[in-house]
Amino acid sequence: MKQSSVDLLLLLLALAVLATPAFSDLVLSKVERRIDVTSQIARVTKTLQVINSGSESVSEFTLTFPKFLGNNLAYLSVVHSEGKGKSKRNLANLSVRAANPKGIPDSISVYSVSLPKPLSKGETLTLEVVAAFTNVLQPFPEKISQGDSHLVMLQESSQYLSPYAVESQSLTIKLPNARIESYTKLENTKLQGYEIKYGPYKNLLPFSYSPIVVHFESKAAFAVAEKLVREIEVSHWGNVQVTEHYNVVHRGAQLKGEFSRLDFQARPNPLGVSAFRHLLARLPPRAHSIYYRDDIGNISTSQMQSDSKKTDLLIEPRFPLFGGWKTFFTIGYGLPLSDFLFVSEGKRFLNISFGSPMIDLVTEKLIVQVVLPEGSKDISVTTPFAVKQSQEIKYSHLDIAGRPVVVLEKNNVVPDHNQYIQVYYKFSNINLLSEPLMLISGFFVLFITCIIYTRADFSISKSSATYLAKLQWDEVLATLQEVQSIIQKCLATHDKLEASLRDLSRTGDIQTCKAARKSTDSLLKDLSKELKPLLGFLQSSPSASHISPKVEELVAKEKELQEKLMAKHTTVVEGYEKKSSGRDIENRIASQQQKIIALRQEIEDLLEFIDEI
Amino acid sequence: MAAKPIASPIPVAMYPTLSVFTLAIGLVITAIFFIYEATSSRKNRSLAKELATSAVASVFLGFGSLFLLLASGVYV
Repeated sequence: MKQSSVDLLLLLLALAVLATPAFSDLVLSKVERRIDVTSQIARVTKTLQVINSGSESVSEFTLTFPKFLGNNLAYLSVVHSEGKGKSKRNLANLSVRAANPKGIPDSISVYSVSLPKPLSKGETLTLEVVAAFTNVLQPFPEKISQGDSHLVMLQESSQYLSPYAVESQSLTIKLPNARIESYTKLENTKLQGYEIKYGPYKNLLPFSYSPIVVHFESKAAFAVAEKLVREIEVSHWGNVQVTEHYNVVHRGAQLKGEFSRLDFQARPNPLGVSAFRHLLARLPPRAHSIYYRDDIGNISTSQMQSDSKKTDLLIEPRFPLFGGWKTFFTIGYGLPLSDFLFVSEGKRFLNISFGSPMIDLVTEKLIVQVVLPEGSKDISVTTPFAVKQSQEIKYSHLDIAGRPVVVLEKNNVVPDHNQYIQVYYKFSNINLLSEPLMLISGFFVLFITCIIYTRADFSISKSSATYLAKLQWDEVLATLQEVQSIIQKCLATHDKLEASLRDLSRTGDIQTCKAARKSTDSLLKDLSKELKPLLGFLQSSPSASHISPKVEELVAKEKELQEKLMAKHTTVVEGYEKKSSGRDIENRIASQQQKIIALRQEIEDLLEFIDEI
Repeated sequence: MAAKPIASPIPVAMYPTLSVFTLAIGLVITAIFFIYEATSSRKNRSLAKELATSAVASVFLGFGSLFLLLASGVYV
């Protein structure tokens, strides 16, 4: 308070000695200012009508603020507009930069606006200026107890501080619907409801300044994020994951004395008005998998409502926040990829809002980390305002080279900064396959290990009796398997022969049947040749002594079956050649058929027995 | 500037179903592989057959586990 009055004094002194011929070409014919202090941010909207009364054309316009406001300027936009009321059109956003011209005292912040086209003699132009200031609503008193209401103070000038002469100007201050403690009364001051009007004041000289102070009660949440880290992770598998880490502090009047939970809970209205309980985050539509947690774990006090335009997340910190109290929490949510990621001219770009989704939250230090998929190249960022940029690498799930991260930093961010930023990059869809390939090779390595393990020999003594016995037994088993597979093949060949007989009875084609017989004959011969050495091995092997009789029996039965089958085949074929009747043939093979079935059954039983070894 | 939105290669809603089916197929083939490993004796085991089974199984398991990760919200 003291500091700022000294500032004001200095400012006035400086103004008194200031001679400003450099700026005198332009005249502001009408200035309307509106200051909205219903939230913790002082949002100033100005409509300036500029006339060039000089002889030379002017292409630069100078905006000035008292330094104590200028230092807290968070957002400034100047729009060239046309028309009035409903027919008003915004033509162009003008570029604004901080300037430091000579001849202006240090107690004034200067911004230079480049006009859309040079303003020649006698022409007029309308500018719409929106400026947002943080920390200009000073709590007064600075410390209050739990039951006190929260009073804040705004300092401004009733006359518009400008390097140009002003013909007519007025100021409206919109206050919240609460008590108004006091305000500076000048001539032409009116209080209408919760609006204070100063002016209109006519024919002001350049750098006119007349300080005013408004002292009023504010019920707004003075929630300030000291640091907010937003991590936006893009996955081309269909998701944009946003994780936000908040360090929130109540920047209003500090709490004096102790906090009584009983008083707060029992009678929340008079006791604890200066605290805030909720924060509202307005997330994009179709946000899903939303969570709200801190270091302890999930915080269950949150509510969500969603419709087609937005998703409202109302979060309640673990405790109400009084002045000076801090809390930390994290919220996270997933967003559908197709709402935010686009492709244009071969480049992909992420189009996402910059600031925090929290309503009326001021962020002192905002760090936005955009994590792009692994393999992204040629990264560039476009932002509607200046931010500090850098790049990092982040290692996450299934990464080899790491993901490129674009880090954007900005101080003093207000909700007006919630504009869309674009992160452009190049990415080939082939890179998408790297993750499944990594998983596939992981599994494959596992299988290869199993294959090697089953082939490896881990016995320590290679000459022990048990080891040798085991080796022999392995060989016996392998031989048994081969025998089995050969017998199976034989049985399959038998089936083929039977099938050829059935074909014969259907078509009467004896030649094909004979051909089939020939091929099966040779096949069976080959198989029995293969079988011979295996049988020899089994007979010679001592460890197979209890199995070999069974195997021999199997082989013998199989041979018998073969013979019976051949006999049956010959009978049938002969019958057909002699053109005997079907019944006749059937009668002749009936007894053979019975034996064949019995043998087949026996063989299958034996196979089953061997299988169980 | 015609900006076209980019969607995922496979609809996000399909991930749970896909993960169930690919994992089921993958596990069945894995089972076939291990049954073969356990039942065939060391002498007449065929390396080609083992490699083929394991390759098919790992493709299914790899995609299956990827879809499982995606379905459970771990967007890789």
